[in-house]
Amino acid sequence: MPALTLLYDPDCGLCCRAHEWLQDQPKLVELIFVPIKSDEARKRFPQLNHDITGEDLTVICDQGAVYFGPKAWLMVLWALSRYHEWSYRLASPELLPTTRRVVSMISQHRYQISRAAGLAR
Amino acid sequence: MNIEIATYLLYLAISIALTIWVAHTLHKNGRLFLVDVFHGNEALADSVNSLLVVGFYLINFGYVSLALKLGYKIASAQEGIEALSVKVGMVLIVLGGMHFFNLFLFSRMRRRATLRNAQPPVPPDAYTRVQEA
Repeated sequence: MPALTLLYDPDCGLCCRAHEWLQDQPKLVELIFVPIKSDEARKRFPQLNHDITGEDLTVICDQGAVYFGPKAWLMVLWALSRYHEWSYRLASPELLPTTRRVVSMISQHRYQISRAAGLAR
Repeated sequence: MNIEIATYLLYLAISIALTIWVAHTLHKNGRLFLVDVFHGNEALADSVNSLLVVGFYLINFGYVSLALKLGYKIASAQEGIEALSVKVGMVLIVLGGMHFFNLFLFSRMRRRATLRNAQPPVPPDAYTRVQEA
């Protein structure tokens, strides 16, 4: 079975909550969670530019394909049985610009959102 | 043979003929969908197709036999035809419902099968070397 590695931000409450939620979801593809800029992340992906992984979610497939930002979010949806079809819907040419805007907005304001939702740590 | 028995026999004949016709149509035309769903595995498609048709027969004949009893006396041929029309109409509606439900099942199975094998929704941004742990 193929696997997707997610580089997530362990300092962001929203990300950690999403991490917990993802662990309970039925999956079509295995998801591996690795904190950004950790030793494990650097060891697994020695050639990746780890400075940009702090800006938005990064997903790496086990063959080495890198998905960054909104594309990474779509890949996570794609991996979940319940939201598999939604990943195609949201990636359609009509919806992709909106998906990008919403995802970028959430990612850029993730610390504020975490604080507002009481998820800060 | 009195008029009630005639109505019952006509009802059974029409209902059974209709059920067989719809099941036959489903069996014949559903096969293509199933072959596609099971990636050309015709043996599996035929097996699932037969199982679906058996279920279809069981539910429809079950309904036909439950709905047989009229519950009142028929005095004339006109009343007989009216009673027959109501009964056959109900059978037709149940058959139609079952038929659309089967179509829904086929299309859902097919959509799932096509999606499962599809490429990821977006192309990757880059490629990197993966160090096996």
